[in-house]
Amino acid sequence: MAVESTPEQVQEKIEQVDSADLVVGVIAEFDDAGLAAVCAALGTLPGSPRVVVLRDERSASPGQSNSEPAAASGSACHLIRWPLSGSGAPDTPVVGVAAAYQAVFAASQKFGARACCVIVSKLEAATPEWVRELAQPLVERDLDLVVPYYARRKFEGLLNSSIIAPLLRCLYGKRIHNPMGPDLGISRRLFQKMLATERGGGTGGNRALSLASVAPAALCENLQVCEVHLAARVYPPTDWTNISSLLAQILSPIFSDMERNAACWQRMRPSVHVPTIGEPVSVSQDTGTVDISRMMESFQLGVRDLQEIWGLVLPPSTLFELRKLARLPSEQFRMPDDLWVRIVYDFALAHRLRTINRDHLLKSMTPLYLAWVSSYAHDLETAGSTAWEERLERLSVAYEAGKTYLVSRWRWPDRFNP
Amino acid sequence: MWSQVKQQLAESTARFLTRFADLLPGLAALIVALLISIVVGCILAAIVRPLLSSMRFDERLARWGFPSVAEWSPMKSPTLLVSRAIAALVMLTGFLIGIAAVDAEWTSQLARSIVAYVPNLLGAALVLLVGSVIARFLARSVLIGAVNLNLHYARLLSLGVKWMVVVLTVAMALEHLRIAPGIVKLAFGILFGGIVITLALAVGLGSKDLVTKSLERDAQKASGDNQEEPFRHI
Repeated sequence: MAVESTPEQVQEKIEQVDSADLVVGVIAEFDDAGLAAVCAALGTLPGSPRVVVLRDERSASPGQSNSEPAAASGSACHLIRWPLSGSGAPDTPVVGVAAAYQAVFAASQKFGARACCVIVSKLEAATPEWVRELAQPLVERDLDLVVPYYARRKFEGLLNSSIIAPLLRCLYGKRIHNPMGPDLGISRRLFQKMLATERGGGTGGNRALSLASVAPAALCENLQVCEVHLAARVYPPTDWTNISSLLAQILSPIFSDMERNAACWQRMRPSVHVPTIGEPVSVSQDTGTVDISRMMESFQLGVRDLQEIWGLVLPPSTLFELRKLARLPSEQFRMPDDLWVRIVYDFALAHRLRTINRDHLLKSMTPLYLAWVSSYAHDLETAGSTAWEERLERLSVAYEAGKTYLVSRWRWPDRFNP
Repeated sequence: MWSQVKQQLAESTARFLTRFADLLPGLAALIVALLISIVVGCILAAIVRPLLSSMRFDERLARWGFPSVAEWSPMKSPTLLVSRAIAALVMLTGFLIGIAAVDAEWTSQLARSIVAYVPNLLGAALVLLVGSVIARFLARSVLIGAVNLNLHYARLLSLGVKWMVVVLTVAMALEHLRIAPGIVKLAFGILFGGIVITLALAVGLGSKDLVTKSLERDAQKASGDNQEEPFRHI
């Protein structure tokens, strides 16, 4: 979003606030008191930076005041209502968050800020202090990207655990647990690079791309990255009728980014940890059995009806293994990690080669993803409280072990087809 | 009287033989033109085929978004289709040249009517091509969407949509070609209606289980038995 397109009332407030050190975009639900607490917490940052908090103008409820509760005269924190979620109604939350990122980057540029943060999530049992924790490494240690390390339950954030985090760890060589945030802290160096990429047409018209590109851009440029321990996120309940669209919206920019950064990730070495700040927050784990029948049914239907499409993407050996898996009874169902990893890599390659329409490609991956979730749920149903971390570490190692397969297929898609 | 008959017979025979003799060089030219065009067509096809194969034309065509061309092609090879089409075009040209040698006026009339028909042919070909692409796209969209909704009749639904678009496309193409428009309209109505009724019946019968499951789920929710699923994806 260009700053020039800012509405007039916002423009007036920009003139009141000529510059800032830190810009914080808030699209999470905060009431006036909550935002005042956020401002107060940010006011205690070292060096007392001038802070501008951008509050999404759509998130304000009719009963809430239209004034600036925290922007008392003389305060270093200014609150501005801002069209963070874009001019039109966002199609999905993913698109809305991406639009908010673009708006915050543009505003940070306008204010000449040293850094910016975007606050999207609502955290369990957390005080507004957590926003300060996310911003502090940017201001105090001059880091470039601060990513959250949320406390989590074993069945939460599954798309991140199964594809996004291990794939980016394998590609870019840094063990980041939530590379797509969605709550991130970003330095000027990095947001200027993101804006330049966007202006140069690097987003390819994909509005969700900027969010998926943040961590890869930082890692490819060798910028300083750290993680901050935060409380557990409150996740939205699963909308089963829409899961394939979500999968397509989230994976498409990641795979497009792989294509753009191919030269970077092909020379990356095995992964290393990134510095972590704060103490891990404990969270109670789910116990008891889970119902995976719906996901198993989806996978079996996929094996029966989507062979024609998968046959264009997956090699015969993978198709054979999938057919074998579909015949297993539910209680014996396990998807091997190396099989899942090869499936993800083959879909990334098909996305690059445009083997079929990209939306069809990614949506046809849904039954396979649900099969992985079923297998993961089986593994962890009765496991101990830390078993899920070991399980995901094994998966990440499988991603790294399969990187040679990805590189070979990426370089010689016609010749190397096992 | 008899001598007059004989004279008429002799004259008509002479006229026929003269005209036939006039035609003979033209017929010979037609045969020669045909033979030459067959040879040239075969040579061109033999040159084009390996050339397209070396360019991986079949794979490129599929990648450019025309995978359905392979389905219509002989032995599912668009390369073969193109090379044979070139050979056929050369042979047709040779035939027209040969015909021109026999009777120039008839050939020009034929050429005029063929040229006048070309826009219809092109229009029909375009309609078929676009229809085929749309049919495949919609069929895939419906198949993937239905599988992701756990519908057991996903394939049937996808096939139904595909055939509806194909039937519509063929009817439009035949309309363009002005081939028996009355019959085409009638046949299209019967076929299209038949597909819609078949789909409606199939979906209606297949939905029984879905509705039952949905009602059971609602009942479970109402009784509070249904535990909330712990899975969170994003």
